[in-house]
Amino acid sequence: MAIRIDIKKKMLSANGEMNLDINTTLQMGELITLFGPSGAGKTTLLRIMAGLVQPDSGHLEVDGETWFDSNKKINLPPQQRGIGFMFQDYALFPNMTVEENLAFAQDEKDNSRITELIDTFGLNEFRKRKPAGLSGGQKQRVALARALARKPNLLLLDEPLSALDASMRTSLQDEIARAHQLFGATTLLVSHDMNEVFRLSTHVVCIEDGGISKSGSPEKVFSDTSISGKFQVVGQVARIDKQDVVNIVTVITGSNMIVKVIAVDDDTQPLTEGDRVLVFTKAFNPIIKKI
Amino acid sequence: MNKLNGIIANIQQAGSIMLVDIKVNSHLFSAMLIASDEENSWLKTGNRVDVVFKETEVSLAKGLSGQICLRNRMLCTVKDVTKGELLSKVTMDFMEYTIVSVITTRSVEALTIQPSDEVEAMVKANEVTLMRTTNLNAKTQ
Repeated sequence: MAIRIDIKKKMLSANGEMNLDINTTLQMGELITLFGPSGAGKTTLLRIMAGLVQPDSGHLEVDGETWFDSNKKINLPPQQRGIGFMFQDYALFPNMTVEENLAFAQDEKDNSRITELIDTFGLNEFRKRKPAGLSGGQKQRVALARALARKPNLLLLDEPLSALDASMRTSLQDEIARAHQLFGATTLLVSHDMNEVFRLSTHVVCIEDGGISKSGSPEKVFSDTSISGKFQVVGQVARIDKQDVVNIVTVITGSNMIVKVIAVDDDTQPLTEGDRVLVFTKAFNPIIKKI
Repeated sequence: MNKLNGIIANIQQAGSIMLVDIKVNSHLFSAMLIASDEENSWLKTGNRVDVVFKETEVSLAKGLSGQICLRNRMLCTVKDVTKGELLSKVTMDFMEYTIVSVITTRSVEALTIQPSDEVEAMVKANEVTLMRTTNLNAKTQ
């Protein structure tokens, strides 16, 4: 029960030619994030999984079924791969109602599945409405429900929430997590938002320059073993306040904890709001108390 | 953060607690750490490491006599004092390094710390973090 990826693909990126070279085995049932900078190859990998882009060579196997094999000349078309998609531009059919959009995605009609999805995503009052009458967040819910309508083994989400504002994004992250629990589809999510990675995923694969730089649980991947400090959290700088001769840096961690750190000017000089930072201290400093 | 580069001279271990001695030029620093498997690859005698400690963990003394348990003592020359309402920043020269200490303005005044003064900067061994020295040309990953 695994996803085996061993593929190579020559790509043209903003910085010239790049070789996408991915070799990894992922477990079914997990919510896996592909994390990394723009142009690293995350979306191409997702499109290869979907069958929309063909690798130059290699082998791709999901749950025991070969989807691609360059030696055996196997390349299953997207509709035979048992996948559900959701992209940033959700591309709902404008002439169809919410219900019809979901039904259209199904190979075999299954009304009970549609009702279940509409209930799960709180779309009941909109089921007869067309996409033009929905808000951005509602459209995104419909797109997620549509991706799940055909009971996919693998759900592929390409930065599905990047166009939404922060509060809408948080609530849709919860929906994705809930959908993953309820429907159990193995999910591959492309993201470059670390909070999203921590909130959603059980496994993160970091992709840089076309290759995997790190892979594992979010906690493991984002901690730094080249520092002896045992108490490490990763977060984003929310604000920097100059106070007296020092600065108070407010950091929001991956698990949405707010941490305040005193830092001198030399340490805050390279920092701006939104920067990713590692906050660390030693195992000797924290005080523990039963509550 | 204060950062000095040195070579691990000795490691003493009791269970998973380690006391690491690091030579920065001829000066010996100590760091108390908890060992873990991931770090075993680079926490070894002879390896280069950065000795790191926070400005707020640096205590200052003037004309200190008697014995003290702090392991890391640096004889420094004060370069600059920036006084704030409660806290002050004392910048010092130590060998080729700059050491910064943030202490209360009250203490700066009690010790009358001013530029060109000789002071002793001190850090407890358990406030010292070690970092694997990264080659500037190497990739960070």
